Amino acid sequence: MHKYLKPSCLLIGCGALLLAVGCSSSMKTPAIADVAVSKAAVENAASAGGAEFAPVEMRSARDKLALANKAMASKDYKAAADWANQAQADAKLAESKADTASAQAASAALQDNIRVMREELERASK
Amino acid sequence: MTKNYFTPIAIAMLALVTACSSSPKTTSLLEQARSDYRMAQINPGVVSYAALELRQARDALALADASAAKNDNAEKIDQLAYLSRQQTALTLEVAKKRTAEAEVANSAKDIDQILLAQRTNEADQAKINAEQSRLTAQIAQGQTAEAQRKADEARRVTEEAQRQAQQAQARNKQLEAQLADLAAKKTDRGLVITLGDVLFGTDQTRLNPEGMRTAQKLADVLQQNPLRKVLVEGFTDSTGTTAYNQELSERRATAVFSALQGMGVARDRVATRGYGEAYPVAANDTSLNRQMNRRVEIVLSDDTGRTTQR
Repeated sequence: MHKYLKPSCLLIGCGALLLAVGCSSSMKTPAIADVAVSKAAVENAASAGGAEFAPVEMRSARDKLALANKAMASKDYKAAADWANQAQADAKLAESKADTASAQAASAALQDNIRVMREELERASK
Repeated sequence: MTKNYFTPIAIAMLALVTACSSSPKTTSLLEQARSDYRMAQINPGVVSYAALELRQARDALALADASAAKNDNAEKIDQLAYLSRQQTALTLEVAKKRTAEAEVANSAKDIDQILLAQRTNEADQAKINAEQSRLTAQIAQGQTAEAQRKADEARRVTEEAQRQAQQAQARNKQLEAQLADLAAKKTDRGLVITLGDVLFGTDQTRLNPEGMRTAQKLADVLQQNPLRKVLVEGFTDSTGTTAYNQELSERRATAVFSALQGMGVARDRVATRGYGEAYPVAANDTSLNRQMNRRVEIVLSDDTGRTTQR
């Protein structure tokens, strides 16, 4: 995340910053919820086999969840919510990849069975 | 004059600010998110299987686009762009997963089809096996019947042979009985019947009634044994000239031949021969012995119709 400011946008940036700081206490509750949701998402992904089938996304989700927790600890709720949302997106992607892998494995196994059955059928028909 | 310099600078600065605010803001991550979304949109798997997820990806991208349009800071745009990209990636994964699931569903159909074909095969095979065993049984039955037929045939042949042997035996017995009547003698040349001098009439060349009866018996034997033939041989004693005796012996043989012919015996079954005074059966010293020498011998052939000449 590159942080840069154009001189002409300085005023707007300062305004947003003030707004963020001003709202920081009101953002605490949704941030807690975001972190909790992404924690659950990471756990779901892990139990679906994310570590095996999507190691990159799984690693990323865990790292970002850790960052979200860290931000929570330092009361940076905006950052905590952002990290939590990213962690959740990564975790959902990891879970989806794991699901895809097992569906594809099931399909491949079935195709294999079908191939064997067809061969047997051909042998039997001779 | 300084006032005059200020105005263009102010205008230039204003223009700069306007340009900045009106030029659409973007980040490289947002560009990637847009590109990812466009790719997902035309992915056939996504179109078929992940329409809902694609809409969610579109919404996520719309948030990022809106943020960019609002000229939010790059950090915020990138946050939303990142979420959009992950949602798009998720859409592709869901499409892949459902494609695999559809394959599984189709495979179930394939498997059903294969199982059906297998069962059809098994049924066909069973039918073929049944037909084969039926044919095998039929063949075995046929072989049994054939063996039975052959055995019957062999028995029939054996029985026929036995019957023929019995018949032949019976015929031989009958023949022997008949020939016993004729006082036939078994010799090396076969059965020989001797007609004595007493069976000829006074002219000595014709059979008297007693001789005719004997000839009739012989004719009966020949009628009942159609395969047999006879050779009639005439003999005399040594009294008189050789030429006369020769002629006499021939005449006597011929007399028997004529008698048999008259009784219905075919011409070709009777052969005659005169031997004159040759082959006497006794010395020509006494009248009784000479009478024994005056005789006709009838040689009976075997079943093949052959007689042995002297």
